[in-house]
Amino acid sequence: MVSSSDRRYTRRDTVLFVLCLGLSFFGLFSPAPVGHAVADRLRQTVLSPLVWLQTRAEEGRTSRVRFRQVTTERDSTAYLAQFLPSLRAENERLRQLLRLSRRLNISYVPAEVLHQPQVMDGRTLLLSAGRKEGVSVFSPVVSPEGLIGVVLSVSNQSSIAMSWAHPEFRVSAFTVTGNAFGVVAPSNEGGNGEGALEFRGVPYRDSIPLGTMVLSSGLGGVFPKGVPVGTVIGVVREEAGWERVYRLRPAANPGSAAHVLILVGGRTSDLGPAFPTDSQLEAMRQDSIARLRRADSVAQAVRAARAARRDSLQRASPLQGGGAPSSPILGGNPAAPPSLRDSAQ
Amino acid sequence: MSPSRVSKIQLLMVMLLLVVLQFYLRPRLWDARVSPDFLLIALMLFAMRTSPGIAALAGFVVGLIADTLTPARFGAGALAHTLVGYLGSWGRSVFFADNILVNAAFVAAGLWFRDLIVLVASGTDHRQVITELTLYSPLQALTTAGFALVVLITFRSMFSIRLDA
Repeated sequence: MVSSSDRRYTRRDTVLFVLCLGLSFFGLFSPAPVGHAVADRLRQTVLSPLVWLQTRAEEGRTSRVRFRQVTTERDSTAYLAQFLPSLRAENERLRQLLRLSRRLNISYVPAEVLHQPQVMDGRTLLLSAGRKEGVSVFSPVVSPEGLIGVVLSVSNQSSIAMSWAHPEFRVSAFTVTGNAFGVVAPSNEGGNGEGALEFRGVPYRDSIPLGTMVLSSGLGGVFPKGVPVGTVIGVVREEAGWERVYRLRPAANPGSAAHVLILVGGRTSDLGPAFPTDSQLEAMRQDSIARLRRADSVAQAVRAARAARRDSLQRASPLQGGGAPSSPILGGNPAAPPSLRDSAQ
Repeated sequence: MSPSRVSKIQLLMVMLLLVVLQFYLRPRLWDARVSPDFLLIALMLFAMRTSPGIAALAGFVVGLIADTLTPARFGAGALAHTLVGYLGSWGRSVFFADNILVNAAFVAAGLWFRDLIVLVASGTDHRQVITELTLYSPLQALTTAGFALVVLITFRSMFSIRLDA
């Protein structure tokens, strides 16, 4: 049973409930502009703190999303930048290979070195060119820096090359000055023997200064003449007063070679000019720059002459009715009107 | 200061905290359609501890806020929250209001009912009504009831909750 106080309570509740319902229905069925006006007024007055709070929250969320996006972009950029030096190096190596291929005066086959993740990688190389491309056994393998090795076996689409680091590798060689001949082989000194070459069989009387370049001599008919093999960096030993063995820093590194050229013909040719020294390369670069500058200056002079001619024609046209004669030296066509000649230039 | 006055001030602080969470934390949470509705939690907890008339008035105010700040049809939120507040207060006399699970269930049911009225009163397409009422509303009801449990356990002394029930 409900007490009198509870009944009063219920009556007041009912009134409040009906009032709220009525107001709600009024809002619901009132015209939209009225509702919008009320909402706008409320947003600008009593609810403005809540709107402010919500705005801050949205800004915070947006900032967080943008921060995450910026962080992701930065990480991606850093990841890509890691590959930039290696890409540049590979690009430079390919350019060098292209330049070498232009300088070579014998037939060659380009090939990729398929490195294997094994400890013996560097001694024997798997190349991506084979019999189909014209590769045969004992074809020399070179890189822009110098001699890499020689082909050991050939299949249809690939071949295996023995690099200079292989214990059985030998090449007949001579110094660039031409005063000493010998045989280059991998060094047995220092344990692994893979980091250096030895220039053996040099007569005791033929002293070779440090820094002298050693090239293949072409003797034996396997390697053409003039391919850089290494640079003298010291004396390994002297054999009983009649022979000196020199240590060479190899010209090319098979472990890092990614692209090579396999020479497939003309083993009697002299490839010396195809492998210029650093000073020669620098001289060639300077020469090409000078040629470009000369060409630029000539083009500049021609442009200046044409501009001067245009100016003189424009000055002369009011007097001569636009029919000024043009000079064939400056590329003008006397039969054409000045405007056409100018546009044609 | 009397204990009942202290309790009312504490209750008011909790309500204010829920309002702040609604407008500051909720926009930062995941999908708004399934995030907990802190205002509804405040309304339900308040309604279950007050008279039906006051609860209806509180519901009307909460609905007015919702109508003002959300681009739904003006008046639909006020109507829905008024009904939810009023019925929530009446439900107290039918169920055990000091049971924590009953409180949470009330919150979940109130949210689903509120959504039903808002969708119908707004004249929403019946397909969307079905999708909302069968997918998003139950999910939001779950998250809201879950957070209501956290609030009730944290402030159980204020809400006279029995944890051994």
